[in-house]
Amino acid sequence: MRILLAEDDAMLGDGLRAGLRQSGFQVDWVRDGMAAERELASGVYAAGVLDLGLPHKDGLDVLRDLRARKVATPILVLTARDAVPDRVLGLDTGADDYVIKPVDLIELAARLRSLVRRSLGQVHDTLCAGTVELDVAARRVISHGESIALSNREFDLLHALLRNVGRVLTREQLEQQMYSWGHEVESNTIEVHIHHLRKKLGPDLIHTVRGVGYTIQREPTDA
Amino acid sequence: MNPSRPLSLQSRVLLLVLGFATAVWLGAAVITWRDAQHEIDELLDGHLSQAAALLLVHAKGDFDDVIDTPVLHKFAPQVAFQVFVEGELSTRSANVGLEPMVAGGSGLSTVRREDGVLWRVVVMHETDPEVTVLVAEKVESRQAILWAVMRSLLQPLVLALPLFGLALWWSVRRGMAPIHDLRGTLESRAPHAAEPVSLQGMPRELEPLVQTLNGLLERINRMVQTERRFTADAAHELRTPIAAIRMQAQVAMGAGDDAEERNHALQTTLAGCDRATRLVDQLLTLARLEAGSASQLAPVDLGAVVRRVAGELAHVARARAQSLEVQAEVPGPVAANELLLGVMVRNLMDNALRYSPDGACIRVAVSAEVGVTVLQVQDSGPGMTEESIAHLGERFFRVLGNDQSGSGLGWSIVRRLLNVYGAQAHIGRSAELGGLSVTVRWPAAAIQSEV
Repeated sequence: MRILLAEDDAMLGDGLRAGLRQSGFQVDWVRDGMAAERELASGVYAAGVLDLGLPHKDGLDVLRDLRARKVATPILVLTARDAVPDRVLGLDTGADDYVIKPVDLIELAARLRSLVRRSLGQVHDTLCAGTVELDVAARRVISHGESIALSNREFDLLHALLRNVGRVLTREQLEQQMYSWGHEVESNTIEVHIHHLRKKLGPDLIHTVRGVGYTIQREPTDA
Repeated sequence: MNPSRPLSLQSRVLLLVLGFATAVWLGAAVITWRDAQHEIDELLDGHLSQAAALLLVHAKGDFDDVIDTPVLHKFAPQVAFQVFVEGELSTRSANVGLEPMVAGGSGLSTVRREDGVLWRVVVMHETDPEVTVLVAEKVESRQAILWAVMRSLLQPLVLALPLFGLALWWSVRRGMAPIHDLRGTLESRAPHAAEPVSLQGMPRELEPLVQTLNGLLERINRMVQTERRFTADAAHELRTPIAAIRMQAQVAMGAGDDAEERNHALQTTLAGCDRATRLVDQLLTLARLEAGSASQLAPVDLGAVVRRVAGELAHVARARAQSLEVQAEVPGPVAANELLLGVMVRNLMDNALRYSPDGACIRVAVSAEVGVTVLQVQDSGPGMTEESIAHLGERFFRVLGNDQSGSGLGWSIVRRLLNVYGAQAHIGRSAELGGLSVTVRWPAAAIQSEV
């Protein structure tokens, strides 16, 4: 999952980026309000972590403007402003969660997963398709009752496809969801990962839509 | 407590008014007494003289024997008379002897007769034949009249005084009601109530008091606000470094085999601890300064302080290949607290080092002009915009877009100390080095010459 982190403090931002990466997120880090708004509006992020005391544009203004522009990306406000009126204001302005600094890394990761899960209308943290189950929190994939070892990229790719079951994702969309900034993505990278996934999970799970991209189809027996 | 507690306002007013009223009444009584006495004396002396004159006319006839006049009225013993013709007693009232009541002289006099009673006597003489008439009247009868007059005057007053006192007590109590109301208002105020006491319906005399009180309340309120904002700001500012420390520690724990990531996280954790420590130090310094405990001033050599601080910061400059030049050979006398002056100099130099790039030049100079000691800190860094300079000294203000983990408190501390020491700072662009230039001037009044 790709997350946008907006935090102006160098030390904390560095720690959050490293910590969230350890928790399996792809993290892009911006350090001012204008950049945060621009990036979050792009829609490529599964969620945003937003500090309120940002330079150039306050986090609350960013939040308000994003919601005014109907950007629905889940946003977790991470701030030192702990007074109850501040929390109420934050949540009412459009925050999906309001967390006071300092925060536990594991808790923050869990809250982010929860936000993404809810934004997708899911009840469980496990995504299923056919015989494949993907446990987001544990970063584990089970096929035919057996645990399958996937690389991080393979997991992220499968996760992206499972989050969008029934929808066709283009190569660019998949790249955007899987890679944070600063990664050179070769033109055939996605194809290589798809190939590996098919080898590990069977050829029927992921469908190629010629000239468009890839999809995992909704199961007809779903109902 | 003071053993002799001052009287309450109410008792004070009561006592004063009652005292004055009593004094005025007593004065009036005394004057009435004297007037009445005078009038009575005049009237009755007139009567005495009239009676004596009458007797004198009658006595011109011949009298062979002593005539004792009968007592014709129950009050007759109050008066007496004697008529002497050619030295012989001719006529007398029943209550006098044969000897004249007054020996010789003439006119009015008061005598004590042998029975011990005071008499008012008038003596009149007539020649050819020689007749002397003495007419007397008991003085006590005059006193009785006087007392009767005074009684009718004083009795109502004596009765009225307690009633008057009571009415006065009630009136004063009513008059003091606004004070009681004010006390009630103040008592029922919440301890953190910010609004001033209303002047509505307040009597004119209490208005200045209430206004002064409101001024005090406002000052206290402002202080509480400052304190509250400071606490909120401090909590806010402390949370970020602590959050960073926690996050980096967790990253180090989760780094697994990635030694590089773990080391980086641990290094950053340590740096975060240093930063939090510095922030706490600065907060404490500022809190102490704002509490007003700036301790007494003593003569300090600014040059020596600058050299000491430069020595302490040398390693910081060296670590970033910055050159720290100190020109402080002349004695720079200022009145200050050496420890706090050190804090101020350190903040100024630390700012210059912190916000200048690696390899920059920082020049600190102390000079003494006529009656003025000047400290100048210049650097070859990027300097500051006018807008940023205007915000300097606001707590926790930091210039945007720099990576330095300053507390945002340094300038607050410097500014506070400048106020305490009566010194002025000018911030501008350094002509020599191109970066920021801070010039602090201690005017003559802030320098003690006997350094």
